[in-house]
Formats: sequence, structure tokens, C-alpha cells
Amino acid sequence: MKKLFAGSLLGMLLLFSGSANAEIDAAKAEAFVKEVTTEGIEQIINANIPQAEKDARFAKLFNKALDLDFIGQFVLGRNWRTATPAQREEFIKVYRQLNISTWSKRFDEFKGREFIFKGTSPSNSAGQVFVNSVVPMDQGEPAKVVWRVREKGGQYKIVDIIIENVSLAITARNEYTAFIKNNPGGVDALIANLKTKIK
Amino acid sequence: MLKLSIKKMIAVSGVALLAACASTGQHTDSAEDPFESINRPIFEFNYQADKYVIKPVAKGYRAITTPFVRERVSSVLSNLQEPVSAGNLLLQGEPVAMTKSLGRFVLNSTLGLAGMFDVAEGWGLPKREATFNETFAKWCIPQGPYLVLPLIGPSTPRAATGLALEFVFDPVYWGTYNDANVHDKASWGLAAVYGITAREQALDLLDDLERNSVDYYTTLRSAYLQNQSKLRCYRDKSEETAAYDFDFGFEEEGEAFDEMDQ
Repeated sequence: MKKLFAGSLLGMLLLFSGSANAEIDAAKAEAFVKEVTTEGIEQIINANIPQAEKDARFAKLFNKALDLDFIGQFVLGRNWRTATPAQREEFIKVYRQLNISTWSKRFDEFKGREFIFKGTSPSNSAGQVFVNSVVPMDQGEPAKVVWRVREKGGQYKIVDIIIENVSLAITARNEYTAFIKNNPGGVDALIANLKTKIK
Repeated sequence: MLKLSIKKMIAVSGVALLAACASTGQHTDSAEDPFESINRPIFEFNYQADKYVIKPVAKGYRAITTPFVRERVSSVLSNLQEPVSAGNLLLQGEPVAMTKSLGRFVLNSTLGLAGMFDVAEGWGLPKREATFNETFAKWCIPQGPYLVLPLIGPSTPRAATGLALEFVFDPVYWGTYNDANVHDKASWGLAAVYGITAREQALDLLDDLERNSVDYYTTLRSAYLQNQSKLRCYRDKSEETAAYDFDFGFEEEGEAFDEMDQ
């Protein structure tokens, strides 16, 4: 009886995880992240080209790899719902530019480093999966970098990057929500502030 | 006098830890910072102290040393933390890892020239750091509310207690204990060196975070608390991804949306 129960439980579990995974091919998601990081390291960081060309290549790779429309909505939190279509459009545009300018600078710190991929973990969200990787450091234990990948219409896009358990999407969302709460100017003030940070 | 203040410091964090144990229940983001009105002024004080004293010193340290020298310094400091790691590994029920850690301490302190070089790693004994905060987390002691400590920065009652314990279990602290002349100078001096090297290592990252942040206090709090979520209770069998597998949820525009907001 006990065995039967355990068996049916296991069956249910398998069925459940099967259905949750059915929508995204974890192996393809991992291959996608590998492709993106390899392209970034080989074609941008290690390439012997002028900085302007590097920045242009980075922007292109960034837009191809990350779903900023998706992330931007999440990051604005409940303020997305009350924002006007013009505010939404402007926010996504500014948020995209800020991320590109920030990351193209930060990206160079990866010179001489590599990602070692460690398989995938399922997500509770349909059509999404976590791709696990580590980056060996000069001293101490390697840094853990997890990529959240979403599949839509056969296309794979990164929707979050989690470094040592710190999700960039959650951090930005907390930050922007706090700013809007403490600022009478609301979303417009946030957009104006972010614009000052883009160089 | 200073010794007394160390005792006081531990007593205070001990009480805070008990308070943390007494509080129960799952915290939402806002409940995790019930002392924001106290934390923010301390954060502002730290920010000014950092801007005018700590950061310039860390930059000066970077300017007068080469990466090679800095690596040797941080390697010596990291070796001094090895006995604390060993003790904590034992407290976490990992006697084999503890033995390895002690082996590292002996090898690196001698052949590694007082810890300047990590020779043990090459001999198949890789570094494994273990802190009191990690041990308490494994014992399922809740971290308590978010605290900003003067000069130290983001913390929790659990992390602060761990830090105080690490201070007194440091070999320099107990090694000089009977020599009153050097004891205080050595332990506080060492704490200062720890602080400056840590600040130097974080220079670029923190500059970057600050430059891009519209609310630096919230950014650091959010990042600190998320990072702490990797310390888990031994009973916790949930997926490791649970800490960051949030529901993007805006397509339904449902309740999940509001839950995450502060």
C-alpha cells in the first residue's frame, strides 16, 4: 500500500515536471547561453578592434540575447500598470540604453575569464529555465552565475542574470519601486534620473 | 578599556540574535527592513565616512601596491581566517572538511610563508571558507531584520553576531591575548587592514553600483539580502532556485504582482 502510494506520488511528480518542462528545451537554452557568452568573449572582449566597434557589437549582441521589453515591464513593478503608453515606451528605451552602456563597460572585466556551464534547473514559470554556470576567480571560490532563459515562438532570450544569488531584475525592481515611492515625480522622475546616467 | 567594548559588542549582538530568534514567520521585502528609519541615517553616515576616509585610504592602498602585493596581503588575511573556517566546518558537521582546513592552515602558515602563498591548493586542498553566519543559518537560526551597522555596513543580527565571534576567534586575537601591550593594537589593527583590503577589492563594483543606482540604499539592501539567501537551513529541501525563481507575473496582472512590491 505504502509502495503503491509512493509510486503514484512519483508518477505525479514526473508528470508534473514533465509538463512544466515540455515548453522549453533545457539543452537548447543552455546551448543558446553558451553561444552568447562565447560570441561575447571571442568577438568582443578578445577582439583586436577599436572601442567604438566593440560598443556597437556589444549593443547588437545585447539586443539579440536579452528580452528587454519583458524585463523592463517586470522591473517597473506595479507602476507599469498605471504608466501611460508613452511612459512605458520611454522607460523601456532608457532602461535598454542604460543597461547597454553599463554592461559594455563592465564586460571588459571578463577578460581572461571563462564560463563553465553546470547544467540547468527547472523554473516554476512556464517556458523558462535556469542555465547554471560558474566563473573561476583568481582567489577563493568561483562565482556562481545563473542565466534565466525564456522561450517564445521558438526564440530564446535571457530574461534575468543571477550573480551569487543576486537577481539583477529583482534588484532593479526594488530600487525603482523605492525611488518612485519616495518621489512625487513618479515614473517621469525615474526616467529623467536614468537619462542622466547614460553616457 | 577596549577589551570591555569588545565584550559589550558581543553582548549587544547576542541580545539582537535572541531577538531575531524570537521573531517568526516569512518576511516580505518591507518586513525585512522594519528599521529603515534608523538604518537610512546610519547608511548616510557610513556613506560620508566612506567618501572622505575609507575610500581614499583604499584608493591609496591600491595606488602604492601592485596586484602581486595585494594578492599576498589578502592571502595572509585569508589564511588567518582558516582556523575559524575549520571550527565552523566542524560545527556544520563536516569533520573531513575541517581536517582539510586545518591541514591548509599548517601548510600555508609554514611552507606558504605565513599564508602569503596558497601551497595547499596545489596539493589538492582547495579553500573552503566557512563563517559563523553560515553555521547559524545551517542551524536554522533566522537572520532577523536588515541592519546597517556603523562603518561595517549592511548586516543582520545573525551576521553581526558571527562577525563579532570571528573577531575574537581570530588567531591574532587569542595569540596576543596575554600580552596587553599589543593585544588591542594588533586585533583592531588587523580589523582595519581587513576593512581596507575588502574595500579596495570592492572599489570598482561599488562605484559602478552607485553610479547606476537611483536609490543606492535600496540597491545595497536588496543585493545584500538576496546574497544572504544562499545560506540555507539544513532542513530546507526547497530548490536552490527558489530564492530567485520569482513569478514575472505581469501578464496576468494578478496578485503576485503586488506581493513582491514594498
